[in-house]
Amino acid sequence: MSRHFKSFSEEFKKHKALFAMAAPAFVLVLIMQYLPMTGLVLAFKSYRYDKGVFGSAWNGFENFRYLFSSGTGWLITKNTILYNLLNLFTSQLLAIIVAIMISEIHLKYFKKFTQSVILLPYFISWVVVGVFIFGLFNYETGMIDGIMKAAGQQPVNFYSTPAIWPVIICVFNSWKWVGYNSVIYIAAITGVDSEIHEAAAIDGATIFQRIKYITIPSIRPTIITMILLQVGRILRGDFEMFYQIVGNNGQLFNATDVIDTYVFRSLLQNADIGMTAAATFYQSVLCFVIIMIVNGIVKHIDADYALF
Amino acid sequence: MLKKGKTRMLSLALTAAMTVGCMAGCGSSSSSATATSAAASSTAAAGAASSASAGASATAGKLDTSKEVDLVMYVVSDRPAGQDVVDENLNKLLKEKLNCTLKINWIGWAEYANKYPLLFSSGEQFDMAYSATWLNFANLARKGAFKSLNDLWPTYAPDNFAMQSDAAKQQATIDGQYYCVPTLLSTYTAYGPMYRPDLAGSDWDGKMETFDDIEKYCDSVKAAHPEVEPIDMYSSGPETFLLWEENKGMEYVDNGARFMWYDTSAANPKVIASYDEPTVTDFLTMMDRWCQKGFWSMSALSDTDSTKTQNGKAALKIHNIDTWAGLTVQQPTWNFKYANMVKDVAHLPYTQDCMVISNTSQNPERAMALWNLLTTDQEVYDAFYYGVLGTTYTLNDSGQFTITDPNLYSTSAMWAVRTNKLNRNQAGVPEEYNTVRQDWESKIKAGQGAEKYTSFVFDSTNVTTELAACQNVEQQYWWPLALGYTDATSGLADYKAKMQAAGIDKVVAEAQKQLDAYVAAQGK
Repeated sequence: MSRHFKSFSEEFKKHKALFAMAAPAFVLVLIMQYLPMTGLVLAFKSYRYDKGVFGSAWNGFENFRYLFSSGTGWLITKNTILYNLLNLFTSQLLAIIVAIMISEIHLKYFKKFTQSVILLPYFISWVVVGVFIFGLFNYETGMIDGIMKAAGQQPVNFYSTPAIWPVIICVFNSWKWVGYNSVIYIAAITGVDSEIHEAAAIDGATIFQRIKYITIPSIRPTIITMILLQVGRILRGDFEMFYQIVGNNGQLFNATDVIDTYVFRSLLQNADIGMTAAATFYQSVLCFVIIMIVNGIVKHIDADYALF
Repeated sequence: MLKKGKTRMLSLALTAAMTVGCMAGCGSSSSSATATSAAASSTAAAGAASSASAGASATAGKLDTSKEVDLVMYVVSDRPAGQDVVDENLNKLLKEKLNCTLKINWIGWAEYANKYPLLFSSGEQFDMAYSATWLNFANLARKGAFKSLNDLWPTYAPDNFAMQSDAAKQQATIDGQYYCVPTLLSTYTAYGPMYRPDLAGSDWDGKMETFDDIEKYCDSVKAAHPEVEPIDMYSSGPETFLLWEENKGMEYVDNGARFMWYDTSAANPKVIASYDEPTVTDFLTMMDRWCQKGFWSMSALSDTDSTKTQNGKAALKIHNIDTWAGLTVQQPTWNFKYANMVKDVAHLPYTQDCMVISNTSQNPERAMALWNLLTTDQEVYDAFYYGVLGTTYTLNDSGQFTITDPNLYSTSAMWAVRTNKLNRNQAGVPEEYNTVRQDWESKIKAGQGAEKYTSFVFDSTNVTTELAACQNVEQQYWWPLALGYTDATSGLADYKAKMQAAGIDKVVAEAQKQLDAYVAAQGK
């Protein structure tokens, strides 16, 4: 203990400037992330406005009951995890492919233009995307059914076909995030020493060989970090996306409901702060467990790639 | 070695960047709530101290207006561009009459569901707020969000207090305390179709009294104008079953739980769930047929467009008379007609628009005095509700108002301030609006029929968990069923099974217990 403290104080003396620079971020994290955690006690309380967070009475696990009472808890947990895994896999894979392709473009202006176009969906709000999707898929005036009718085909009622929605959601999620995620990979690829590429090219490596043996191994740490960070959020459904795409369409809920949308719908009429806190608590604890396990596995395989 | 160091640095830098990113995104809402609540306790203490001293002056009998105070009021709506002009004009008046100023803060429609409850937990100091049954007034009151008005109301707003009906006062009472000042404007449970006769074909008989008439009208519209949706349905869910039930003299237990009904004409009404309602199969068969006929979109529940009727995309909409009045002003040439189909029209609870005093208020006495002034003085009411004469609104010879520019300012969002006496009609609303309402008013007898139950407020405290689960099932299984998307027979069985799994039996039993107690208390 004392040795640790001593080494810390030595470290502090040695790198005063670095500590000073880290201080604002440290304070910010403390205030914005750690202090609010005390609010988690709300999950176990029957909240009253006049008594406040700490004055309200305890009520055990009462607030958690609605999540599991009617058997929906397991379904929405499963949906949330599966959607996040699917979206994690597709959007990261696409982002890597896009990043490699963009970095292989050598015309400067065309490169910038392509990158901007791919990034653009990131700035479009889900509300607007939801309207696009309704315009594409609705039964009466939707574009897709319009084309099918014109081609003499039987139109499909997408909004009563739950099985198709995981695909639609995954496609739009990738479309929206691929540009943003690829920026990070492009940065990582740019950091690769160009001499290695030149040497490989002189030795006769084709472009695919260079990507396979130089680019991908070089950005592997970035890929793993990105994936780990996403895994840390695996129980958080992207509320905006699901809510704007699916809306109040009950027929699709079994295939599209995630924890966040279920909580929103159940408590909209009856905003109970304790019950919403319980849902967040459940998500946070499970996220914590999962990230610890995954990080432990990564550490076991190669300690360099672990987050901590 | 060098390479390894580099990758580490890169991952660390990335981690840092991502963490900050996450923080900015997901952390903000929860953190702001908790951070401010730390300040809450201190301000609450200060509030208590000031109200104690004010209580002393109250015993002196008269409000002390020697000190100028700044009052703050919260309303739910989007802030209009012309608010500053309205404020300036109003504050000149208030300064002179009550030595105070009023600042109005707006909570936008996009964020009210999250932000409104947080208002009372954040500890922010403000005096008055709009509240309503649909904003969960009773629930918030039970959880201690508002100041009790037992002394404040009769003392500082005596004129307002004197004008309130017994029913209104009873509705404002939660756990033996007054917690809000209800509106003094009567509104009615009347509900029904508003429709455009011009869209129907020549084969339509012009009648609109029953569900069969609605079907005939829609058939005619579908044939004459296939491009128009006969019935306006969108993502807020179907209104048809509510109308079906009220048409039979049934009433819902709670506005937020439209799956439990009771017969208002019975002496000791029994609470039943939707699936046990004897005519539910007839209703579902009819809706199934309407859906097959294409009276509404197959994708209605994902359609967020709430303006289809006013934009001519739909022909008939089921809602209340005020929505109809709004449509007649917006589209005067379409000659919208209205038909009430509720069997026994009663007053809506007066708490459907009400004003509450925040627990953190520093000047509740002045706030109540202001409320008294707003609800009794035409000049102040006009300046508060309609804005500046000539700038935001104009009046015609019969005292009806016209909004100059809806983008500048329409009317205040503090709907609770309206009273039968001071409220003005909008120019262009047909005379029928007044005559129909007078007709309803004359037929209502206090304590009889549906009117007997207007003060019944369901307290969901004991069944919060079950109610939340039922509300979810209602939306997931009932809405598609009532729109004819799922099969009438198997869908109903499925809905019933899910409702029972969610614990509806417990909710129905609780509602029955409370309703019995209410009936017993009324009988005394």
